[in-house]
Amino acid sequence: MTLYRYIIRRVLLLVPMLVGITLLSFVLSHAVPADPVAANLGEQAAADPAIVAAFKHRWGLDQPLYRQYLVYLWNLAHGDMGTSISTRQPVLLDLRQHLPATIEISVAAMMLSILAGIPLGILAAVNRERPIDQAARVTSLVGVSTPVFWLGLVAILVFYARLGWAPAPGRLSASISPPPFVTGFVLADAVLAHRWDAALDWLRHLLLPAVVLSSYSLGIVTRMMRGSMLEVLGEEYVRTARAKGVPRWALLFRHAARNALIPIITIVGLSFGGLLSGAVVTETVFNWPGLGLYAFSSATSLDFPAIMGTGIVVAAVYIVVNLLVDIAYAFFDPRIRVG
Amino acid sequence: MTEHRRGRSCEGVSRRELFRLIGGGAGFALVNKLAAATPALAAAGASTLVVGGGGFDIKTLDPGRELENGTNNIDHATYDSLVTFYGEDLTTPRPSLATGWTISPDGKTYTFKLRPNVKFVSGNPLTSADVKWSIDRVRYIKGNAAFLLDGVEEVQAPDPLTVVVRLSEPRPAILPILSSPVLSAIDSKLVMENGGDASPDAKDKDKAEAYLNAHSAGTGAYILERYTPKQEIVLVKNPNHWRGAPKIDRIVLRNVQEPAAQELMIKRGDLDIATGIGPDQVRNLAGVPGVTVKTSLASTLVYVMMNQNPQVGGPFSNPKVVQAVRYAIDYQGMLALAGKGALRVAGIIPNNFPGALPAREAVKMDRERARALLREANLGEITGTLTYASDLVFYGVHANLIAQKVQEDLATVGIKIVLNGLPYSVAIQQYRDGKNQLGIWQWAADYPDVSDYLVFVPGRTVAKRTGWMPDAGPQAQEIVKIARAAESEVDTPKRVALYQKLNRMIAEHGPWAPLFQPVVPYAFRSNVRGVTFASAWMVDYYTVSKT
Repeated sequence: MTLYRYIIRRVLLLVPMLVGITLLSFVLSHAVPADPVAANLGEQAAADPAIVAAFKHRWGLDQPLYRQYLVYLWNLAHGDMGTSISTRQPVLLDLRQHLPATIEISVAAMMLSILAGIPLGILAAVNRERPIDQAARVTSLVGVSTPVFWLGLVAILVFYARLGWAPAPGRLSASISPPPFVTGFVLADAVLAHRWDAALDWLRHLLLPAVVLSSYSLGIVTRMMRGSMLEVLGEEYVRTARAKGVPRWALLFRHAARNALIPIITIVGLSFGGLLSGAVVTETVFNWPGLGLYAFSSATSLDFPAIMGTGIVVAAVYIVVNLLVDIAYAFFDPRIRVG
Repeated sequence: MTEHRRGRSCEGVSRRELFRLIGGGAGFALVNKLAAATPALAAAGASTLVVGGGGFDIKTLDPGRELENGTNNIDHATYDSLVTFYGEDLTTPRPSLATGWTISPDGKTYTFKLRPNVKFVSGNPLTSADVKWSIDRVRYIKGNAAFLLDGVEEVQAPDPLTVVVRLSEPRPAILPILSSPVLSAIDSKLVMENGGDASPDAKDKDKAEAYLNAHSAGTGAYILERYTPKQEIVLVKNPNHWRGAPKIDRIVLRNVQEPAAQELMIKRGDLDIATGIGPDQVRNLAGVPGVTVKTSLASTLVYVMMNQNPQVGGPFSNPKVVQAVRYAIDYQGMLALAGKGALRVAGIIPNNFPGALPAREAVKMDRERARALLREANLGEITGTLTYASDLVFYGVHANLIAQKVQEDLATVGIKIVLNGLPYSVAIQQYRDGKNQLGIWQWAADYPDVSDYLVFVPGRTVAKRTGWMPDAGPQAQEIVKIARAAESEVDTPKRVALYQKLNRMIAEHGPWAPLFQPVVPYAFRSNVRGVTFASAWMVDYYTVSKT
């Protein structure tokens, strides 16, 4: 199978997966023994049958369940994810306002863990059992085992409250008006509007939450890179290369590290999903207005359209990232395609 | 062993090369340093007020569809109602869009004179037609707040500056009700152009909510500039406001979920006002230079309910057991949990309403008496399930803590309680369906008037959920009668006397143990002046200034 056909097949598989996800999130959110009326109407209103009926009618909750689901699917197929009960605006617009913030922080954290984790892993491997290796191992152990919310609070206490290096929790300072909404990504929108003040302010706000969020994946990447590198360094071809007098720099990076990177791709892809869920906590602690905050408040108010929309988007991102990982994998290692 | 040697052989090169690679990490530290070098942000200049709120319960900004604290806060700034309250006083209705009013002798007709020359933000003049349209719309869209207009027969606009509200029964509560931001005057011409409808079919025809979530269409001191749901709201001043332009140019309200984050931000001056803090922050912020911490009494009662429907309540439907529970609770300990400023409530009417009883009348803990009552009840070992919303926080006080305290207190007299903490939406559903055996709940006033507490009268909203119906006995029937009289009594001293009588009877015979009246803690920077907090709409931004 060619790489091309492999990709087509994987993309086509996306559709049934997404439909399955809508069904799953629909069933799960309706299985909760609670009524959106209870979560959204006030005490007096909930006691008035006329108001309850009007509420159910407005949000389509007076229809039988199977119909609600089919109507949802039909609308979804037409690009309409419904209207959120708790924001009263189209879910699509809500997602456009919240998802970019989550992607910003997740991608930043991912980049940090790759940029720091891979060199750290290599460094630890080539200095095995030496202090630098011990330090890398302790760092990754701490990163993997420290709860993100705790780390976040400590980071805010130290870098914001005590040292004053980091800005107040949030995505932009209150004194900076956000650039006009085009993509929803502050950096892109700021560049488009030539708002360098906003771009810089955003970067300053991004740093601390991204570092905190990256702690887990940084730990994983470092450990995997170290292990993988040690394995490769023990291979025959590395010994041969060294015997042939290949320079140490080239030996390490051209021969060893490149091959050691293959398993890392998988890890990076998998931990991106972890980042998305970790972002829920990080967003709360750092007041980063992303999807996590949105998902949480939608769930507590039984805002079905919003819960479904969030579920679909997160699943889609996860699936797409995995697809990219698989493609990258196939690209780097032709054996996969054959298999 | 071989690997170890190999590692060593690479050492010299690797360290130099890898440090270059780690450059990214070093760059991060550098940026952080640079960031530190830029002057501390602090909350913008004197022209911008930054407010951090927790919860952010705002679902809509459409006055006709809202009934949330957060929305009242915004709508009180962007709209005006016929009457209002000043500062923290919620007992004396004052003129706002109405300069004055007269009440017919039978107490059924209220005639309001409108303030002349008031203009909406659009430039349209305010007339009685706008007031009528806005109130009709609330009634006909059947939103969350439609119940406010129970008993309102008709709103008339006989001339451009006169509004007449006709009631089916005398209802003095209508004045405080008309102060609600829900019933504020909307620019009917502008909103009709944008999908607004106030006809009897408005339930299906009104499509103005999206417009009103993006634009304010009022006469208020501030204008809505931007609303990003669950994130941020920006208001700018209305230079043509009828009381004169407000002193702050721009207000940025941010959803700051973590009370601890609000504490740090107000400490460092990144927030001017913090309205989402709890008792922990009050302690931590006390004595911090540059920060003023205050508490405002919430018009709310937190209570334990005991179901009187024998099938649900079991032993707790026995009046002696109800009494025993009331005597077993350590109210002083409860107040300590509720935080500084919280008050005992004797009966079910909070202390800031007429009809409230003096604190000395509140039940005092008497565990001997509780045990004696249980012996008299002779029901053997008493066990029960206490339901509450485990994610519910009463102004910074977690329902979890209160539930554990009730469990401990009841254990001292031999009542065994199983805690049943559920997510709010599940717990409240069970409660509303009358299925809580025991429960911890609150009643927060929907409008600043004692009549909102008649829900505790047998057969009405709260009592019904507690299985307490008018046929429960002669006392229940008498309470129902007193309630009817109190509701329509127009003479103030007589009204207060009736509410006190009713309150005393419910305190004695009702199936509740009132725990406390909570306080809302809030904090502001010392250079911010004129901050008042009223539970009806929180901070009134018109009086706020900043130096």
